[in-house]
Amino acid sequence: MSVPAEHFATAEDQRQAAELGMWVFLTTELMFFAPLFLGYAYNRWAYASAFAEASRHTDVVIGTVNTAILLTSSLFMALAVRATQLGHRRPTQVFLLVTATLGAIFLGLKGLEYAHEWDEHLVPWLDFRFAPGNAHGAALFYYLYFGMTGLHATHLTIGIAMACVFAFRLRTQPAQHLRNQIETGALYWHFVDAIWVFLYPILYLVNRHG
Amino acid sequence: MNAVPDSEIVPERVLHESSYLHEGFTLRSWLLTRDHKRIALLYLISITGFFFIGGAAATLIRLELMTPAGDVVDAETYNKLFTAHGVIMVWFFLIPSIPATLGNFLIPLMIGAREVAFPRLNLASWYIYTLGGIFVVATLIAGGVDTGWTFYTPFSTLFSNTNVVLAVIGVFVVGFSSILTGLNFIVTVHRLRTPGMTWFKLPLFVWAHYATSLILVLATPVLAMTLSLVVFERLTHIGIFDPALGGDPLLFQHLFWFYSHPAVYIMVLPAMGVASEIIPCFARKRVFGYRMMAYAIFGIAIIGFLVWGHHMFVSGQSLYASIAFSLLSFLVAIPSAIKVFNWTATLYKGSITLSAPMLYILGFVGLFTIGGLTGLFLAATALDVHLTDTYFVVAHFHYIMVGGTVMAYLGGLHFWWPKIVGRLYPETWARIAAVTIFIGFNLTFFPQYLLGAQGMPRRYHEYPARFQLLNEVSSSGAVILGIGYLLPLAYLPWAMLRGRRSSANPWGATGLEWQTPSPPPQENFATTLQVIRIPYDYHPATESAESQA
Amino acid sequence: MAIPTVKALLSVWLGLLVLLGLTTASAYLDLGVGNGVANLVIAIIKVSLIALFYMHLRHATATVRLAAGAALLFLFFLAFLSFGDFLTRSRNSTPWRAPQTTSATGDTY
Repeated sequence: MSVPAEHFATAEDQRQAAELGMWVFLTTELMFFAPLFLGYAYNRWAYASAFAEASRHTDVVIGTVNTAILLTSSLFMALAVRATQLGHRRPTQVFLLVTATLGAIFLGLKGLEYAHEWDEHLVPWLDFRFAPGNAHGAALFYYLYFGMTGLHATHLTIGIAMACVFAFRLRTQPAQHLRNQIETGALYWHFVDAIWVFLYPILYLVNRHG
Repeated sequence: MNAVPDSEIVPERVLHESSYLHEGFTLRSWLLTRDHKRIALLYLISITGFFFIGGAAATLIRLELMTPAGDVVDAETYNKLFTAHGVIMVWFFLIPSIPATLGNFLIPLMIGAREVAFPRLNLASWYIYTLGGIFVVATLIAGGVDTGWTFYTPFSTLFSNTNVVLAVIGVFVVGFSSILTGLNFIVTVHRLRTPGMTWFKLPLFVWAHYATSLILVLATPVLAMTLSLVVFERLTHIGIFDPALGGDPLLFQHLFWFYSHPAVYIMVLPAMGVASEIIPCFARKRVFGYRMMAYAIFGIAIIGFLVWGHHMFVSGQSLYASIAFSLLSFLVAIPSAIKVFNWTATLYKGSITLSAPMLYILGFVGLFTIGGLTGLFLAATALDVHLTDTYFVVAHFHYIMVGGTVMAYLGGLHFWWPKIVGRLYPETWARIAAVTIFIGFNLTFFPQYLLGAQGMPRRYHEYPARFQLLNEVSSSGAVILGIGYLLPLAYLPWAMLRGRRSSANPWGATGLEWQTPSPPPQENFATTLQVIRIPYDYHPATESAESQA
Repeated sequence: MAIPTVKALLSVWLGLLVLLGLTTASAYLDLGVGNGVANLVIAIIKVSLIALFYMHLRHATATVRLAAGAALLFLFFLAFLSFGDFLTRSRNSTPWRAPQTTSATGDTY
């Protein structure tokens, strides 16, 4: 924005307000995920062997590749922000679209994973089958797995849509006009990535050596 | 004796007509407004509506409890009544009451700003609130929900045959309304203060709402996810809260109360903020210990996050956790007590006017103190084992939420009504209402302490005969309380249309909101203000000298 | 506002990938409880890198940093006190007694 909204004294005031607003929002998002993390921590403590067994059934190859994809998407989002700050419209668009594409590939691979898990009867409530003895704990693991990765995927979808919208708007507007939006959108994207950084080890890497 | 000097009453013909109320008269101009003042009024209408719906449920409850037998409604209907009362009063009245109406209206004015940081988000908050309200009304129409406002598992997830999902969706949605309001206030206070308005020149009303906003953004999302888990559990029976399937009902309780205890501070901190504005004005004296008051607000907010287990002393929670929560619960009383002492010290040797707002706030201070002290009884685990789930607890929280928050809300509404609508309310009627409410309130709820101590359980539609007399007193008091609430419902709108015109500062109060006309223009201030005076710059010595001259 | 160099952004990215390799590889070694600890520590380092360099927390105002810290602090409160209950619960439990059907005051339920 080159002209601030009328209740802000300067453009810098508006930029700082947008930045603080997004960080406060991310705080609420973290607290929104919090009960799932607590539920996971409690049930992992209560059903240690079941969680270990269940985690070994996750697709660690897709999980690891997806993590690398998401980390790379964060790189490109950071590059997009940098390009916006320098006023380079075309590179910003390219970086945003690469970010969105990587996010979409993540979602595609996730969909494949979900399809495999459905075939292997690992979806709780929908014909869930697991070795008896660990069945309750494994059901809880997969409940949290689908809950957390599903919620994450929803947030990622919103992020992809945002990146696409920004890239589209850049067709007719200079980079400076969208700077606040892209910077705050990037914060959101990095947050979604950060959540995945925690989800990956707790879902895919429990007792892998067993 | 008039609270407002005659010199402050402005003749009709002198006033200009360019306030925020005159910027468009269409429905569209109100429903698509970005003006924080108009959004505050939208909220005022909504929450008043819900207050009376919740009050209707309370009326039926007190009617049933007039006699020991369960003869007005059956047990399940009674469960639905207290659930409706709790859900509506907590989430659709108390939590938004002061922040969404007075907070929205006043915070930009008090800091010298034109608007809140995110005006469109502010409007979205109100629409989200309304959507949540629609779900709750739908729940009532569909036959209600009987789990209690606390939605305890596994009853809510496995056994209740009522509209749990519909009710929970309503609460989930309205939670986002309060999250966005809190977000808006935090950024507004950080980024939109006028030059010279440093943190320690802010009115305590703003400090209180800032701390409240911190609680709103940190606690409410936890509730949202917890309620989502209840819905999933109800639909799929996976077992995360079901002991038979290896789940833990206490996981739900920890998550629920992690939000719901700070929620009570969301309800009381804004009320304390209102008190800190009204007492100095009608004692004509600076707030005693301004900085300590600000620090105490934060003490309450932060320690308030660490005490939730005191709702779980008899739930099967570990003894050691209970000890920790009990100790922390005693600690949280300290900053609250500091505030009560400082209000009292502010009154001491002040030049006191018993205007209607002052009557409400004096009632607030006294009743909040009683409610807070009884909280200490409940914080002691050994006592709580006997008092929990009795009417003692019901009396305790009603003393704070009704004797406290609702009285402060009404006091604030009266204090700032001239600013909001540009006209004065009728002072005599307002004082009558304040006294009626105070008397009705005490008659309704004080007997409940006695009932609880004698062992009458809460959430029961029938009770042993020996409890009848106190229940009759309580129900009769509720009639008086109801009449008291109906009075402002009549004369405040009347004042809006027919009251005497008010000047910019009818009370001679400090604070930037009084430096602009009543009602304010849409942009709040004609010029950018520069703040140089300290907060609450009242001078009782010079004022009394002037009035004698 | 400080604009990072491409080199800085790429270095962070490489660091993140190295840490990813480390956390995955270490999962295949039997370190007992050390596996979980290592994974957690590495995840914290990765998120710190993302926050400090990609989210500009290094150059942000104190307010923004406080906001970031506050979330973590309250998450910790939730976990700490809840686990305080979970971990100490099996001690000192009262043996099960059937509830009385008549109270001391003569009411029956």
